[in-house]
Formats: sequence, structure tokens, C-alpha cells
Amino acid sequence: MAKTKDEAPKSLEEQLKRLEEIATLLDRGDAPIDQQLQLFEEGMALAAGCRAYLEQAELKVQTLSGENPVIP
Amino acid sequence: MAEQAISVSLLTGEIKRLLENGIGEVLVVGEISNYKLHSSGHRYFTLKDSEASISGVMWRTRPLNFVPQDGMRVVVRGRLTVYNAQGKYQIDCVAMRPEGIGDLHQAFEELKQRLGAQGYFDAGRKRPLPRPIRRVGIATSPTGAVIRDMLTTIERRFPSLEVVFRPTIVQGGEHASRDIAAAIEQLNRCDVDVIIVGRGGGSLEDLWCFNTQVVADAIRSSSIPVISAVGHETDVTISDWVADVRAATPTAAAEMVTPVTRQDLLMALDALAREMTNDVRRNISVMQQLATAFVDGRAARRITERILMRAQRVDDLSTRLARSASNRLQRERIRVDHAAALLTSLHPLAPLQRGYAVIERNGHVLNATTPLQPGDKIDIRRQNDVVQATVDAITNVESTKGTSHGKDKG
Repeated sequence: MAKTKDEAPKSLEEQLKRLEEIATLLDRGDAPIDQQLQLFEEGMALAAGCRAYLEQAELKVQTLSGENPVIP
Repeated sequence: MAEQAISVSLLTGEIKRLLENGIGEVLVVGEISNYKLHSSGHRYFTLKDSEASISGVMWRTRPLNFVPQDGMRVVVRGRLTVYNAQGKYQIDCVAMRPEGIGDLHQAFEELKQRLGAQGYFDAGRKRPLPRPIRRVGIATSPTGAVIRDMLTTIERRFPSLEVVFRPTIVQGGEHASRDIAAAIEQLNRCDVDVIIVGRGGGSLEDLWCFNTQVVADAIRSSSIPVISAVGHETDVTISDWVADVRAATPTAAAEMVTPVTRQDLLMALDALAREMTNDVRRNISVMQQLATAFVDGRAARRITERILMRAQRVDDLSTRLARSASNRLQRERIRVDHAAALLTSLHPLAPLQRGYAVIERNGHVLNATTPLQPGDKIDIRRQNDVVQATVDAITNVESTKGTSHGKDKG
């Protein structure tokens, strides 16, 4: 299971969730503009990161050997 | 009586020779009872009809592609032998098949009824598939189209998924059943979110390994939701009944574990990025209009580099993302960028640094035309503090150059 070790500290789902939070905050638009710009930068970085992750993804298949091979 | 007594062994040996040579190979039809699959893999049973019965044994090395059930009528081929230790004659079977397909159907119905009565199929036991699904365990044959089709489908829809594949015997009888059960147990220890067990279509005998109690028990005790995807749409097995979710085909199961595709997500990402960009631009634009209420034309043009760079960053980031998006999306984005280029990017709070103030009510910035009443509570935001104030009176003044937004002056 060494293949499954996650390099990124956050999962795709967590990043998408954060991205949606940011989009909601920006849509409300009541945060100070400095903060909005910070959120925006974070959001765009997340969006670009997720996009790159999805575009580069390759199917990982790990094949097990049967534990108690049954002899037919 | 000068006769010499002979040993039991000798007598048994004589009987053995007589029976084995005199009868030898047989083809017998009868009803199975007391069927026992020993942990060694050997099978012991009795064959009977209404008048007689005979013991039978079938060693584990003899292939058997269905699971005999008590009461089933079968045809066996084998040799008559004697088991010396018990003085018992028996048939050593090399092959066994159900007498008619009707027996398999009947066995299926009986097992279905029995398991149903024991609550194996209760809707309350069924678990929904988890969301999100990151790792999927698959138990199916390593050869043939099924595993290839499933992997192709997953790769096309959502290649970020991880697959743990346990090559499994999914053809025929007992061996296959035990291997399927072992595969489910093994995948339960592999940190997967969902397990798919399946195979392609086949005859009732081919699919029989999915119609056994062993497999039903393994699915029932799985702590991870199981999708059963056996055969074609019209083939329904016990495994389908017990599983948390039944998929009509293995490919349908592969689609179930990839409910959100990569394409869906990429489009959602683009939509979010577009929304964020538009929102920020709109917010800046609103603030900018507010700010022009505080400064005259010349001041408006003395925007600090720092602020310009920030607004430029909005354009940069959205353009960069657009470049990696599809052509269609890119074209749309460029139109957005053209529109945004019109923004002159005035930092809305910059006037505060020059001693001006912004008036807010309930956290919202008021612009020059927001109606105010005497008695209204307002906040006056200055560079370093916020002043809570109450409106005493409102006096209209002649429109000044401040309200003409400085666009008329050179």
C-alpha cells in the first residue's frame, strides 16, 4: 500500500470544499477588500491545483495475490 | 471344522477385490443427502432413491462446477470402492452434474427462500455507497473482458480513483465460491471504500458460485459496502440479493463508483473560478464607485502601484487558469478579461490613508445616495479606528465635483 501515500496534505475533497467556502465568501462580498484579494488568490491557486491534479491523474491499480490460493 | 479362521483384513480385502473388479466403473443417478464439504476440500455424501442408498466421496482434486445441495438429483460417474476401516462400500466419484437444469433452479429458489427468512436480504441491512469514494476493491477474474472494461470505464470517468484488484476464481462451483468469499475478506483489510464482486454473463452453472451460502455470508459480514455485478441484466444471483447494491453489469458497477467524473469536476472548477473572478471584480468596482465619492478626479488618478498590481493579479490569475481550460472556456474567459480591463482599479480604502472616512451601516458601506434618517446608527471607518455615531440631521448641499466621479476632468 506504499503507492497510496498521499503527497498533498489535503485531499481533493477538502480542497474543493475550501474552494466552495471561498467562492461563497466572495459572493457575499462583505469582507474587507484586502481579505477578498487574499481569498481570491487562495481560491485561484486551489482551482489551478485541483485542475492540474485532475488532468495529470492516472489510474492506479494495485493487484493482490490471493491469500489462500484455492487449487481448482 | 478344520477350517482356518481368516482375519477381518483378509476378508475385507477379498470383498474389495470382488466389488472393485466385479463392478468397477459406474454411472449412477440419485438424490443427494447429507452432503458435507470437509475443510480438507473433500466432499462426502449419500446418494439415494426411495429404496436404497449408497455412500459417495468426491476428492478435492476432482473438479466440480456447481454446489451440490441436499435433495438435488445428480448423475455421478465413478468407481465402486471399499473403505476398509469401516467396512463400507462407496462410490469414488470423478464427475458429478445435476440431473437437470431444473434442479439448479430449485436449489437456487430454496437457498433464496432460506436466506430470505434469515434476513439476508433485508432492506434495512443495505448500506448506501459512501461519498466520496477514493479506493475501490475489485474481485473478479484476471482474464477476460470484465476487469478490462471496468478499469477502462473508471479511467475514462475518474482516473484519480485507486483500484485494489484481487484476481478471483469466478467460474463454477465450490472452489470459486470459497475464493470469492476469501477475496471479500481480504479486500476488507485493504482500506477500500467499496468492494465490487462480479463477472460476465454465463450459464446458470457458470454463475453458480455466486449462488452459495459461503458467498452470501462473506458479503453479509463485510464491513465495507459490496456491489454485486454478476452477469447480464437478466441474471440475478444470491450475491445480488445479499449485496448492498446490485449493478446490472460490471461496467455499470464501475460507473456507480465514479458518480462524479473528472469532466464534471473540471467544469465545476472553471465555473467556480469564473464566479470568484466576477465577484471580486464586482466588489472592487462597487468599492471603487464608493471611493470616487471621496476623492476628486486628480486624486483618483494617483493610484498607488501596489493597488494597481493587486487588481492586475485578479486578471493574471484568471487568465492563467483560462489558458489551461478548454478552448471554449478560454474564449469565454478572454471576453471576461476584456470587460475587466475597463476596471481602473482604485483601492477603495485608499482614501482612508489620506484622511477620508467610509460610512457603514450594519457592516455595509453606504454610498452617496443611500437614504439616511436622523437617528440612524452609523459607523464611521477611519484609517485606524471606527467611530460609532448617530445621525442628528441631514442637510442637502449643492452637487460638487466629488459627485461627478472625476471623469470630467483632465
